[in-house]
Amino acid sequence: MNTLINKLLNRNNASSKEDAKSRLKVLLIHDQVDLTPAQLDAMQEEITAVIQKYVEIDRDNSVVRLERGDDRIALISSVPVRRVIERALPA
Amino acid sequence: MSECIVVTSGKGGVGKTTTSANLGVALAMQGATVAVVDADIGLRNLDVILGLENRIVYDLVHVIEGECRLKQALIRDKRVEGLFLLPAAQTRDKNAVTPQQMRELVEKLKAEFDYVLVDCPAGIEQGFKNAVAGADRAVIVTTPEVSAIRDADRIIGMVEAAELPEPNLIINRYRAKMVNRGDMMNKEDILEILAIPLLGIVPDHEDIIISANRGVPAVFDESSVVGEAFRRIGRRLGGEPNVPEMDFSEGSGVWGVMKRWMGFGAAQGVA
Repeated sequence: MNTLINKLLNRNNASSKEDAKSRLKVLLIHDQVDLTPAQLDAMQEEITAVIQKYVEIDRDNSVVRLERGDDRIALISSVPVRRVIERALPA
Repeated sequence: MSECIVVTSGKGGVGKTTTSANLGVALAMQGATVAVVDADIGLRNLDVILGLENRIVYDLVHVIEGECRLKQALIRDKRVEGLFLLPAAQTRDKNAVTPQQMRELVEKLKAEFDYVLVDCPAGIEQGFKNAVAGADRAVIVTTPEVSAIRDADRIIGMVEAAELPEPNLIINRYRAKMVNRGDMMNKEDILEILAIPLLGIVPDHEDIIISANRGVPAVFDESSVVGEAFRRIGRRLGGEPNVPEMDFSEGSGVWGVMKRWMGFGAAQGVA
């Protein structure tokens, strides 16, 4: 009876197939590049550290992730810049 | 012009053996001569699914080791003209056979039959390498689950590495009701991820348990929805690529929505 009421009120949880799809996509990429999520996190840390030498960034909204295209895997990174650190010069 | 097709999946338990048996029967029913080969040495099961387990005298390893002639090991299925089974050995292991030996065996079979269907063991080791050795192309079986699709993706890569043409996909254990409420990946979701051509969809249905209990593949049963799905796949495999897919949808109109609310499925019997 509860399920019927839930159905009538359209009180469904978010569909689980979307969870399946997004987990699969991440899995397949990691299978292919042989890079663990922990390694990806470490890489993001290092990349961010380098960027921060030159610009001030919004770390909370930064993402680094791998995406699978038709025939290659790309490293996609989005790092919002707050301001350029003017005195920064290459070492 | 005969052809060797390997049925493979990576993951175990997705329905490779059931698919091999049903497609073998379906192709024979269309008038082709077919040898189904159980390449799962040490864990044979194709004989059981086909209901031919009591007629085994010799097996694939006996043939390869020259203990009998190929014709002595082939078991004729009396229910349909042109279908033969070459069983696997049960007391040996995968290392009893080499890819080169499998290639030679398949060549001999291709000289006698229109189709040689090889039921590949689960895994990516020696058994897989043997099963694909003589194949002209591959059919990948998967189910709408994360683990099965992940393994299918891996196997597609290995099929390509073995220099076979792009494989075709069979989606097994499809539950229209779950797909409709968003709790199972649908055809498009799976094809988007695996990106190989679809050969067909097989609904999840209790028919398949009953047919396995009896050793009578569902294809023999005119009224079985699973049998119908495999008959259509068999026709596509046999050179009629445009045979339409069965309708698994529950309808999108008011009545369809009503039925979904009430928990009834229009695709009768599809769990």
